[in-house]
Amino acid sequence: MLQFITKRTATLVAAVVVSSFAVFLIPYFTPGDPVRKIIRSRVAGDAIDESAVQGLSESLGLNDPLAVQYFRWLGDFFSGDMGLSFVSRTPVAEQVLPALSVTLSLVTMALVLAAAIALPLGIVAGLRPGSTADKAITAVTQALIAMPEYWVAPVLVLVFALKLSVLPTAGWNDLSSAVLPALTLALRPISFFTSAVRTGIIDAAAAEHVPAARARGLSQGQAILRHVVPNGLVPLSTLFAVWFAGLLGGSVIVEVIFAVPGMGRLLFDAVVNSDIPLAQGGVVVVVALAVGVTTLADFVHRFLSRTVGASLA
Amino acid sequence: MNPVNAGLVLDGLQVGHKTHDGGTSGGPLLSDVSLSVEPGEFVALVGSSGSGKTLTAMSCLQLLPPSLGITGGSIRLGDLDLTRASEHQLNSVRGGRLGMLFQQPKRMFNPNRTIEQHLKEPLRLHAGLRGSKARSKALELLEEVGFADPAKGIRAYPHQLSGGMAQRAMTAVALAGQPGMLLADEPTSALDKVLERQILQLLDRERRERGLGILYITHNIASVAAYADRVLVMNAGSIVEAGPAGELLTRPRTDYTRELLAAARLAPESRRRPPSRERDILVLDGVGKHFGSRRKLGHAALQDVSLTLKRGEILGVLGQSGSGKSTLAKAIVGLEAASTGSIFRQLDTAGPREGTAVQLVFQEPHSAFDPRMTLRTSLQAPLRPSHDLSPEQRDERIAAVMAEVELDAALLDKRPGQCSGGQLQRATIARALLLEPQVLICDEATSALDALTQRTILNLLLRLQRERNLSLIVISHDMDVVRYMCDRVAVLLEGRVVEVAETKDFFAAPGHPHSQALVQASIPCRADGLWSVLDVAKP
Repeated sequence: MLQFITKRTATLVAAVVVSSFAVFLIPYFTPGDPVRKIIRSRVAGDAIDESAVQGLSESLGLNDPLAVQYFRWLGDFFSGDMGLSFVSRTPVAEQVLPALSVTLSLVTMALVLAAAIALPLGIVAGLRPGSTADKAITAVTQALIAMPEYWVAPVLVLVFALKLSVLPTAGWNDLSSAVLPALTLALRPISFFTSAVRTGIIDAAAAEHVPAARARGLSQGQAILRHVVPNGLVPLSTLFAVWFAGLLGGSVIVEVIFAVPGMGRLLFDAVVNSDIPLAQGGVVVVVALAVGVTTLADFVHRFLSRTVGASLA
Repeated sequence: MNPVNAGLVLDGLQVGHKTHDGGTSGGPLLSDVSLSVEPGEFVALVGSSGSGKTLTAMSCLQLLPPSLGITGGSIRLGDLDLTRASEHQLNSVRGGRLGMLFQQPKRMFNPNRTIEQHLKEPLRLHAGLRGSKARSKALELLEEVGFADPAKGIRAYPHQLSGGMAQRAMTAVALAGQPGMLLADEPTSALDKVLERQILQLLDRERRERGLGILYITHNIASVAAYADRVLVMNAGSIVEAGPAGELLTRPRTDYTRELLAAARLAPESRRRPPSRERDILVLDGVGKHFGSRRKLGHAALQDVSLTLKRGEILGVLGQSGSGKSTLAKAIVGLEAASTGSIFRQLDTAGPREGTAVQLVFQEPHSAFDPRMTLRTSLQAPLRPSHDLSPEQRDERIAAVMAEVELDAALLDKRPGQCSGGQLQRATIARALLLEPQVLICDEATSALDALTQRTILNLLLRLQRERNLSLIVISHDMDVVRYMCDRVAVLLEGRVVEVAETKDFFAAPGHPHSQALVQASIPCRADGLWSVLDVAKP
């Protein structure tokens, strides 16, 4: 187990380092010279003094070798100095951290909501595959996949905010303002979770140890509760983590539509405004978090399913 | 005798397929099955696979698959008619008054729960024990079934136990509810002789000490002769013969029973052929195989194994589970490289490509084929790399080997799930023959089959050996198979060869203490006059 943890942690660090290097290189592949952009944003008129360009490059350390620049950037980054935003001239960390906390709450709410809906649906469908209930659940959840967020979100706003006036249209103030964005974000996970739970339950119910449990005197209900449902839910832990990691950076559309000040919104604005330090900071934080969550899920999955990796041990 | 013990009586039991409207379709799977097991009685139910033995047991527990139903007759446990009992009554009967011991213990445990969690279920349901009381009772049970370290065993997950330990744990679970009657469905068919004997002795002790009634389902006639009071013979869903063990085994009245008994009596005496004067075709010199990191000196599956195989010879490799038999097979075929030592092949010059001249016949025929492919596709696969064959020639070759293993060519378009174990094992052999091997390694090739099928497969192998002058290595834990087939025997113990001898000499006077234990265990331990049935000398 210790060996497993060490290996996975090393993989995690490697993934973060490699991706951060890719992120560090972004400015070198973007059109336009950032130094000139900075100067242009500060001086009036189109003419740029070449000596000012040289001076700023020197003072920003842009004339040093790439490797030196990278490690300086990485060192600064992990000590909390993610640089200054080109646009707002405030430290990137001060913008990323609040946005991160917003997105974390939004994604957590969406996935908890998705799991809360998908678990009972998947269990009901999986225990009686081929039944009317199963067919209805499968049809509805499959239809959810086909509904894009940019269509669902306005429809929800139209119904709940404008017609019924029970929920706010946009913003991020109290819990009620989180309902619509979380629900929109939850739709596709609901579909995938339901189908995963359904398959997991069908497989678990077909296992030979289930009639063996009945032969020990467990009732149908007890056998399902103790031997079918827990085994059927094991695959969900991994899926949950994959979606969590995916939604951290994938909530852009929902955040933009509902004006939620989260990571997706922040990255969107950073890209639109060519705010490279902000984009870099945001992406590295999202990547590190995504890799961390996935690794954690591997630990959880391994703990839940005893036989995974048993042959490796 | 325990007063709650009550006899199990089946009267005219009939089981068939259920249709949606509650009726039945097709012929009955069980018809007019009548039998009784009294408390303290050891009754054997024998028959080849598919004869309905397991179905009978599952009917008693009212745990038939949803597509099947009881269409007639009654099953009484004492005063209670199980076919009419409420679900509530049945829950207290199952695992309580009527226990069940399954074959394939590993698949019958929930892989995500410990042995303790499994044991506590019947203890809570049937003995009302919880918490620390349940735990101490569980430890007691594990000790009773032969766990050397119950405190460690109780924490184990099923996959951490060996096959034998898992079967003992399963026995402890079955006995936890203090059943008066036990349905034991082939509880030892996956075990080697030594473990089989331990489990059966344990059940026999429960029978003597507290009047446990046992319905022992098996196709292993030797164990029946050793323990059973009465024997019931089942064929195609009906009881065809019944009687006291001594009488039925010595004077069978039906042809079917005679066939079963003949199949069980594989080796009336050791195979006797003059020692081969042929040259060696395979020479193993100091072969070793280590698993795990070299630094930590990982588990050694094979150590310093030196063996020779002569051309046309049949060499038996005997050993208990975990002795390194399968690793040896894989090393010889080349599926796993040996860590140390060398394996020389001295093949006939006339032979085809050297790489495929040694072929392997696997243990589990169902897992040796891709379930999604037809047998034709599976059999075509080994011929693909040789580009010198036209599709017609390829089909001819396949048709020829199918005829050689006595399989209908129509089977080629079936998938593994549609074939019986015996048919698939023939197909496995056919696939091995396609590449015209000179050495065939049979790794427990018949241990998953019932006695009748086993015999036909062994005879097929003997005929192929004769006709093609093949050299065979027969790897088995079954003494009878080795005795029936082999010219010489090698015994593996913990990865080492401890004895090599001519088969006849080996069974007459095994040299190594482990060999003696193996030979001893293969002889049933019964006091009455049934030894003649088994054609073995009284120990």
